[in-house]
Amino acid sequence: MATKQWETTLGERKSMYKQSENSFFKRGEKTSPISVILVTSGSRGNKLLFRYPFQRVADCTSSLTTKQRSPYALNTTGDVLEDPDGDSREQTPLTDQQLVAGFSDIILATILATKSDMCGKKFELKIDNVRFVGHPTLLQHPHTIQVSKTDPSPKREMPTMILFSVVFALRANADPSVISCMHNLSRRIAIALQHEERRCQYLTREAKLMLAVQDEVTNMTETDGSPQSPFRQILPKCKLARDLKEAYDSLCTTGVVRLHINNWLEVSFCLPHKIHRVGGNHVPPEALERSLKAIRPYHALLLLDSEKALLAQLPLDCSPALVRLIKTCSAVKNLQQLAQDADLNLLQIFQIAAHLVYWGKAIIVYPLCENNVYMLSPHANISLYSPLAEAFGQQFPGHDLPSMLAKFSLPLSLSEFRNPLDASVQEAQLIQMVVWMLQRRLLIQLHTYVCLLVPPSEEEPGLLRDEELPLVARVGGRSLSTPSALSFGSPTSSDDMTLTSPSMDNSSAELLPGGDSPLNRRMTETLLASLTEHERQVILNIPAAQSPEDLRMFARLLHYFRGHHHLEEIMYNENMRRSQLKTLFDKFRSVLVVTNHEDPVISLFQSPLE
Amino acid sequence: RGSSCIRIECIFFSEFHPTLGPKITYQVPEEYISRELFDTVQVYIITKPELQNKLITVTAMGKKLIGCPVCIEHKKYSRNALLFNLGLVCDARTKTCALEPIVKKLSGYLTTLELESGFISNEESKQKLLPIMSTLLEELNATGACTLPIDESNTINLKLIEQRRDPLIVQEYDVPVFTQCKDHFIKSQWDLTTQQILAYIDGFRHIQKISAEADVELNLVRIAVQNLLYYGVVTLVSIFQYSNVYCTTPTVQSLIDDRSIQEECLNYVTKKGQKRACLRDVFQLYCGLTPGTTVRDLCSRYSQQLQRVDERRLIQYGLMKALIRRLQKYPVKVTRDERSRPPRLYTGCHSYDEICCKTGMSYKELDERLENDPNIIVCWK
Repeated sequence: MATKQWETTLGERKSMYKQSENSFFKRGEKTSPISVILVTSGSRGNKLLFRYPFQRVADCTSSLTTKQRSPYALNTTGDVLEDPDGDSREQTPLTDQQLVAGFSDIILATILATKSDMCGKKFELKIDNVRFVGHPTLLQHPHTIQVSKTDPSPKREMPTMILFSVVFALRANADPSVISCMHNLSRRIAIALQHEERRCQYLTREAKLMLAVQDEVTNMTETDGSPQSPFRQILPKCKLARDLKEAYDSLCTTGVVRLHINNWLEVSFCLPHKIHRVGGNHVPPEALERSLKAIRPYHALLLLDSEKALLAQLPLDCSPALVRLIKTCSAVKNLQQLAQDADLNLLQIFQIAAHLVYWGKAIIVYPLCENNVYMLSPHANISLYSPLAEAFGQQFPGHDLPSMLAKFSLPLSLSEFRNPLDASVQEAQLIQMVVWMLQRRLLIQLHTYVCLLVPPSEEEPGLLRDEELPLVARVGGRSLSTPSALSFGSPTSSDDMTLTSPSMDNSSAELLPGGDSPLNRRMTETLLASLTEHERQVILNIPAAQSPEDLRMFARLLHYFRGHHHLEEIMYNENMRRSQLKTLFDKFRSVLVVTNHEDPVISLFQSPLE
Repeated sequence: RGSSCIRIECIFFSEFHPTLGPKITYQVPEEYISRELFDTVQVYIITKPELQNKLITVTAMGKKLIGCPVCIEHKKYSRNALLFNLGLVCDARTKTCALEPIVKKLSGYLTTLELESGFISNEESKQKLLPIMSTLLEELNATGACTLPIDESNTINLKLIEQRRDPLIVQEYDVPVFTQCKDHFIKSQWDLTTQQILAYIDGFRHIQKISAEADVELNLVRIAVQNLLYYGVVTLVSIFQYSNVYCTTPTVQSLIDDRSIQEECLNYVTKKGQKRACLRDVFQLYCGLTPGTTVRDLCSRYSQQLQRVDERRLIQYGLMKALIRRLQKYPVKVTRDERSRPPRLYTGCHSYDEICCKTGMSYKELDERLENDPNIIVCWK
């Protein structure tokens, strides 16, 4: 039953991607590899064991007769037109296939199987419009080999393979972060292969098989005259070849690679460039990591798949914490609550959440509640004929996506969106629709930000004197940040394990509630001391400032009025109600400017997939 | 213009010696490439025939070597062929794309010199390479350009050209606006088409209008503006109308955080002849732009703040710096008779700007037409 399900999903996935695959190959997708190549160097010299995609049959015949120039090989002067500037940028519309097909097996073996002193490091070679990246790996220690050489014992056998390299060919103009990721994958596969070689000579065995098939096909062709690609014949016989093909196919489509080298060691990898995209461009991994580090405890984790589907994708030996988190998380629960419910500490929650987001399985949102205000995302695909519109119609029969999206043309709060007079069943469905739209990045959430800007003084109102520089330029604000040990795979330190409760971070907790004691007045004065004389005067002249409590609250929250902290954050940090804050803003509106926009910290996650 | 941030550490001339094999004949500075490094990379420098005439960049031991191996076949050479490679060396972290045309050009020059006068195969003339390489290294690092006469008939002209990202496609309803003062540009440096349209680029005319008024074919205008976009001379904003709706982006806070943006903005948006507008007024104006609010609404609500501010330049600056973004209207025909044709423009893919441009209707006309159609809903984004 399970295999059938898997096959169907796979089939769907493949057909879904087939169309895009074709267009990828044509326009030279910058984040996909063009080819994967396995080379070795050893006592038999340099060998190309396997390459994928295969060359077309016609190419094969030419590559066998290496003296003849292959008609499909890149012509030395042909591909770069008689351009006196010798610009190496793409001149002819060669497809990716042709770019690498032009390199014969022999030349690839020569240039990709490096000398041993290039092993253990990133290998990068650029030839015209192709870039090769890999991680050549030594199988034997150099000094072991030397010992063997000087050992006169005739019985000792030379090791047949000295080094190997899994190389990815990319377009030369691929983004450096893509190149870096490909190198990472090459290295991971190399580590697995090295391990299996030491344990049971896995690589040597596969190599023998591959070379045997190559020899066989060469012989056959010479006798029959019928051209065949040796690599096509290798596939059914060698698991490693199938693994490499799968890695290549996955990189070109979903960007998620999962291999089981020798059916034993798992190598998993994801190419964030395929998973996280804004408009037509990928999100640079550094931007992604920066955003992940800025997540706050009041954010929530929204899974992009159903709980069941997600759990089914996890490996058998995955961490129980991950399973617990997936089972416990919900769009209405913030990360701090999630930590309590899942019985994990906040740092673990952050790390697992970051992991899920990085792999494209979840996004960070603000927890769903009545007052959340949503608006149509500028990147949303609102086309009548989009696959999203179709999917929406299937998921919610009787409703169409464009009409629903039109409702969010103006900012709409969840409470406004739901009609309180309708039966609760309908209500639940409306919430589901919002969640559905959020998962597909069709909506963005707007937050309120406040900035202190005092009307300029009468004298010289046109100039921007130093005093007029708003608060932020003069006062270094404190930032209440999340645990800093949020990096991928780094060990946690005990310092980061404790997250101080927000109120302790803030000196305002020391203020006594209520009462116009001299202590409170002194506190208020201190807080207002960071303002200029003019600013202080203006504020104190506001009618609301006559109330010591209001003034104290204002002073206490002053450092939030720089336009970088939204209402919900202030509410969370200061443990205040929305109505309290709104009233305060209203009272002091003559010196505050309010605006609404998306939260830049998580707006990265609200950007659409391609 | 000074040199870019590429620093060439070494220039080398390598060849295949008939008895010694691949070696470095000359390098400046001397001894820069170690024996070890050359051993590791020589297969990429003096190469098999299949790789000749290709630009090859290899990274090893913290260095990047860029070269283009040349092979000239002739009976007169020992082993019937002359193999050489004039290459550059940089630090491994350098982005070396801009050096590639230079390496290619150099290989071409040397090939020509050899074919014309045996420059390289003649031991005496080959020695001239060393001072040439020295000069190249010095000048390319200093100014990014080099002009060197070699002999009576050959001069080397090289220049490092910064490579930029491909620009967006320019649509007929896009509005180009200069990023710097127009007067900074020397008209005569540009092609004829660009010169003809320059006067019509005022940050308010859209491409279609420029084409009509300058009497230049639409696609030529698009290409010319795309070219200006490539060099960062202009940026694109949307058509301005008082009925337009905008909203703030998170970047609006940079007006508060960044002193230079403040200065630039206040200078840009202040009405000519007036005292400079104050930050508070301008920031309030930007924050007054919200979904559902037209520019006309803004003008009536914030008339006091607009006393010293030109609202059209306010919007223009806001768009150029992404402090605000335009909310466009997209009509979608959600229901229709089975017999009627499927919608072509009312699919949610085309904005009012685009539809009006393509059909020649005004916004008002389009509004009237669509408001009366119960099958059509409008999305703003």
